[in-house]
Formats: sequence, C-alpha cells, structure tokens
Amino acid sequence: MTIPRNAFPAIFSNLAKASEKQQLYVLEKLFSELSESMQLKSSSRKVSPETIKNQITEDLQNQYPEIMKKAEYTEERGVHRALRWGEKVTTLQKSLIDRYLLKGDEFFVENDLFICEACGFIFLGKTSPGLCPVCKAPEKRFTKVS
Amino acid sequence: MYASRNIELCSKDCLCLFVCPTGAADTETGQIDRDLCLDGCRLCVDACPSHAIYLVMNNYPEPGVKNEELTSLMMALLERKTEQEQAARNLESAAQKPGEKKLAMALGKSLRILAEDCAREAGFMLPQSRSVRDMLKELTETVDSEKNEIISKLLREIGKVK
Repeated sequence: MTIPRNAFPAIFSNLAKASEKQQLYVLEKLFSELSESMQLKSSSRKVSPETIKNQITEDLQNQYPEIMKKAEYTEERGVHRALRWGEKVTTLQKSLIDRYLLKGDEFFVENDLFICEACGFIFLGKTSPGLCPVCKAPEKRFTKVS
Repeated sequence: MYASRNIELCSKDCLCLFVCPTGAADTETGQIDRDLCLDGCRLCVDACPSHAIYLVMNNYPEPGVKNEELTSLMMALLERKTEQEQAARNLESAAQKPGEKKLAMALGKSLRILAEDCAREAGFMLPQSRSVRDMLKELTETVDSEKNEIISKLLREIGKVK
C-alpha cells in the first residue's frame, strides 16, 4: 500500500497517543516531533466554510456508503465501528457549518464548542454534553475549543 | 506487565503503599515507578479500593492481518480527512470573524481525530507493530536528514519495547 504524503502527520500523531497510553513517553515525544515535522504548511488559498461543507457532503453522500458496502461482508469490526462513528461525526460537522451559515457569527461567539477527544464529535452549547452521544466517552474526554 | 495508576480514579486511600514490596507505588508524580514495579505482581491492583490501578503489558501481540482492500480504502479516506483538516486550518488562519475562527478550529481538531481513526484502521494502530516499523524504514528513503534522525531514534526506542 502506498501512503499519501499528507497522511503521515495523522498517522504519527495517532501513534504518539498510543505510546502515551502505554507510558512510553520517549516514543510519544518522537512520534509527535515527526508528526509536526511532516505537517504541511497552511497555504494562503482562500477557503470558506462552504468549501469545507462541500467536501464533507461528498464524504457523506459517496465515500461512507461506498466503503460501508465494501466492508459489509468482511469481519473487520474496527472498520465497521470507525465508519459508523465517522459518519455520525461528519454528519454533525455538516450540521454545525449549516448552523453557522444560518445563525451567523454572533451565535458561535456566544456559545462554546466542545470536542470529544475519542471520536471527534463537536458539541455546541454553554456547557459540555456530559456523555458523548456518538462513542459514549465520559465528560472528561471533552475539551473546550478556545 | 507493570502497574499503572489512573490518577482520575485514585482516591488517595493509599492501600497500594501498604502492599507494594518495592516502593514503586510511592512517587511524587502520582504514577507508579515502572523501573521498580515487579513484573505481574499486581498486589496493588487487587488492594486498591477505587479500581484505579491496572496492569500494562510489556509486549503486545502483533495485530492480525487486515483485509487489504479495506485498508486501502481507509487510507484513501484518511487522505480526504487530511485535505479537509488542511482546509479548516487555512480557514482558521484567514478568518476575520471570531465565530468563524472558532468553527474552523473545532473542525480542524475533529477532522484530525477522524483521520487518526482512519490511520488505525488502515493498519497503523500499535506503535511497536511490524507494520509501523516497516513503514518507518521505508520512509527513511524519501525524507530529509532531520526527519531521518527522528526515525532512527524511533526505531531504536521501538526495539527496546517490542
């Protein structure tokens, strides 16, 4: 399997987390360094919330259903789970952008955004949602975006 | 296997200190001293009234072989998530409005977490696994000397734990 160049930062930041959970802190640090060193520089290309929404919509309409179909008759439980969670989290990303476009900037300044570190679910509100509705991670796994 | 403390569950009743034969449980950091911990002893695990101590494996089994078609598809999905993450980061740095910036920051973080989940399911879950070691070795041929230095340190460290 060839690995696309842009995939490395996420592969390595994930391995850093997996090292930290085993208390392999030297490995954690090295994987983090490697992840950051391979991070692409942010370009000055103008991006709007709509652009991201379009890419996400394509995932929901085509990518997830197609991969799920391929995974259906396999025993790959991890892939099934990742696709289910990913589809839910992506649906909520899209609805968040929709709410931004509908309600405007002020609404997002007044409310806080909380992210589940386990599955990526984003919650908009005054306080964190407690249990994650997607992956059932406890409240302590939520971090506030600021 | 060595003992590890989940500090968020620890109720500081300190019964682990009563049973630990080496003093490994008694540290300033709150974590159990891995170098002093006796392999598989687990006295502290059973003594803890808060279930705050568990055993971490020294050696993990090699992950099973995954379906090749699916790992490729998960890798392709990872590529898409990363492109979207990059777009969110670009939006974040160019955003003029505070709400838009916050939205972009949240999307970027969320997309990274999705990308990481794809990475695990594309076969790179366990740091000390063969697939990760092979990938790192292959990568040395295409990256600069600075990254190569990190990779050789990584391979050395992985060699110690695998």
